[in-house]
Amino acid sequence: MVYLDNAATTKPSINALNKAEVFNSENYFNPSGLYSGGISALKEIKSAKEYILSTLRALNKDICFTSCGSESDNLAIFGLSKRGYYCTTKGEHSAVYKSFLELKNRGKQVFFFDLNKDGSVNLEKLLEFVKENEVGFISVMHVNNETGAINDVNFIAKEVKKINPKIIFHVDGVQAYGKIEYAISNDIDLYSISAHKINALKGVGALIFKKGLTLTPLIFGGGQENGLRSGTENVFGIKVFEFAAKEKYENIKDNFQKVLCLKNYIKDNLNKEDFEIISSKNSSPYILTVSAKGLRGETVMHLLEKEGYIVGNGSACSSKNRYSRVIEACGYKKDVLEGVVRISFNPENTLEEIKEFVNVFNLTVENLKKVMQ
Amino acid sequence: MKTVIIIRFCEIHLKGKNRGYFERLLQSNIESSLKDINHNFTALHSRYVVDDFDINDYDLICDKLKKIPGVHTFSKGLVVDNDFELISEAVLEVCKGKTGTFKVAVNRADKTFPIRSMDACRELGGRVLDNYKDLTVNVSNPDHLINVDIREDGKTFIYCDVEYGISGMPVGSAGKGLLLISGGIDSPVAGYMMAKRGMKLDCVHFHSYPYTGEAAKEKVIELTKKVSEYNGGMNLYVVSFTKIQEAIHKYARDDYMITIMRRIMMRIAERLSKKIGAQAIITGESLGQVASQTIEGMTCTEEVLNMPILRPLVAFDKLDIIKISKDIDTYDTSILPYEDCCTVFLPKFPVIKPSIETAKQEEAKFDMESLIEEAIQNAEKYQF
Repeated sequence: MVYLDNAATTKPSINALNKAEVFNSENYFNPSGLYSGGISALKEIKSAKEYILSTLRALNKDICFTSCGSESDNLAIFGLSKRGYYCTTKGEHSAVYKSFLELKNRGKQVFFFDLNKDGSVNLEKLLEFVKENEVGFISVMHVNNETGAINDVNFIAKEVKKINPKIIFHVDGVQAYGKIEYAISNDIDLYSISAHKINALKGVGALIFKKGLTLTPLIFGGGQENGLRSGTENVFGIKVFEFAAKEKYENIKDNFQKVLCLKNYIKDNLNKEDFEIISSKNSSPYILTVSAKGLRGETVMHLLEKEGYIVGNGSACSSKNRYSRVIEACGYKKDVLEGVVRISFNPENTLEEIKEFVNVFNLTVENLKKVMQ
Repeated sequence: MKTVIIIRFCEIHLKGKNRGYFERLLQSNIESSLKDINHNFTALHSRYVVDDFDINDYDLICDKLKKIPGVHTFSKGLVVDNDFELISEAVLEVCKGKTGTFKVAVNRADKTFPIRSMDACRELGGRVLDNYKDLTVNVSNPDHLINVDIREDGKTFIYCDVEYGISGMPVGSAGKGLLLISGGIDSPVAGYMMAKRGMKLDCVHFHSYPYTGEAAKEKVIELTKKVSEYNGGMNLYVVSFTKIQEAIHKYARDDYMITIMRRIMMRIAERLSKKIGAQAIITGESLGQVASQTIEGMTCTEEVLNMPILRPLVAFDKLDIIKISKDIDTYDTSILPYEDCCTVFLPKFPVIKPSIETAKQEEAKFDMESLIEEAIQNAEKYQF
């Protein structure tokens, strides 16, 4: 089986799991405990925080561990009450998009920025809106999880703050962290990340935020994480996150080149007449979204699974709105929207298996087309 | 003083000489539904009594009783010996915490009981008034009717609130049927309606992998489980329909695709019925809902059958069906957005008034028989 849905989740790293094992066996103590075991557990969390901040070169930032990327996004969005518009893009992950719909329910003014054809935010329109309106909060994702489009968030934040330095700027960095080299700038106030997208475990995420920013917690209780996120810390999960991040950041350049090569191979070798390539040239090399025009993505996905390849179909279809909201916002029409398939890589994927995959993919779509005619 | 649940049935009362059969069947259905809960079950004249259970299990027992066809109503009550002081104590206990108006109704089946019912009513009512300032008497339209049932066996039941079951007839009293379950809103409701009338059901689902996915199958499994709670367990047969659909798509006229698909589904269902001893086929069809559910469409599909096809929802509006599906908790699962076999290869303009002749002509274009046989051979069985 070849797993090509790494944007959904990744296989936990055995090395990271082994290294963290001690926190499931001997050092299982509650980090709030005042005995040495507890204190040492708390220290371990602290060192994980320092390491993760260092990977983003975020020296004057703070970090709070959460249970997932979605919680990090929610904490960022609901943790501050700002006057004026709350703005985000039409391409956001549901964790941000639905939170903004909830803000609207709660009486906030909400605005969604248009996308470019590749899924990145239309910067011109964004800045125009910020100039003309009172905006309090902006959230822009770093790498689009459906198209792989990269937003230059440091640049966008800088431009936004030139217009209004009081705007709080949040970035959903879930698909970028550990994959794309990036130094978080001072203009970014909040940055969400998730562990299981980089070969760590589900159940751990983090929110990186500017020091001095006062956030209201979503979860109250024992006051862990400086009162920002109560609940006994997931020491094991946090350590796996740290160790997996280390593995990623040690090889981040090589990995980038490697998956870029895989992505380009597929892009260059898919039958041009059967596929529409949705991911742009400058998108994250970890995600390639294509559409088997005129076919159903889900059917293609099942057929590929039968052949031993697991891909994502990128969209949660629903009977009323069966297409991906994001790809639709990119401006594609029905025949493309129906056939969306997302291929997302891990540096462990080999060129050999990708070559084989492309053959199978081409053949599968060709055959299915014959049946559906 | 002991807590009991008194269970009553309704339509079984209309039965004549065979009433005992229905009563025994309902009794065994209730007992099998409660088999995992410690309790004692007694069948009395026209009612059943459950006692000796852990009071923490009360809600669980209620939930189960509400899913047994044939159970009309039930009440939580108290049981004491036929002694007026004990009865009075129990009446006060039952009234505890109640406000508004009340009435005491005494039924004295035990004619040796020294106090006549009217006198008992007055005396008990008086004691309630003395003890609870928030209650007043209203004999014509009380908020709370306190029932006191003095029985010949030396026991008295005291109960007030009545909870409603789903009524209907005990499952197993009306033969066996095979339900075509699609994953939509209607078919689970159709199954529930037949279960409520006492029919034992099994289900058949047509699956079109890879055009439909595992998730669609899981959804049907979930729906079958929910319907099976009203049916005392159920078998689900999942038939792979892919090859048949591909053949229909390849050989038959586009607008007749759905008609032929449904005719083949019926053929498979009939053969499966023979195998499992089902006497009727059940569908969730509702007149005019979609192109295949016109009277011409139904005529054309049922032409292939030599057994009855029952459509309990035929005259139901969609909104009424949705209401029932919410009541039986299948709605949220039914609306999960997975492809089902009917939406794959959907023709742009399906024929609304198909003719049997044309359908036969189109079917003659490919070797249906071997495909049908293969599909039945490979059916997967799930038990709930």
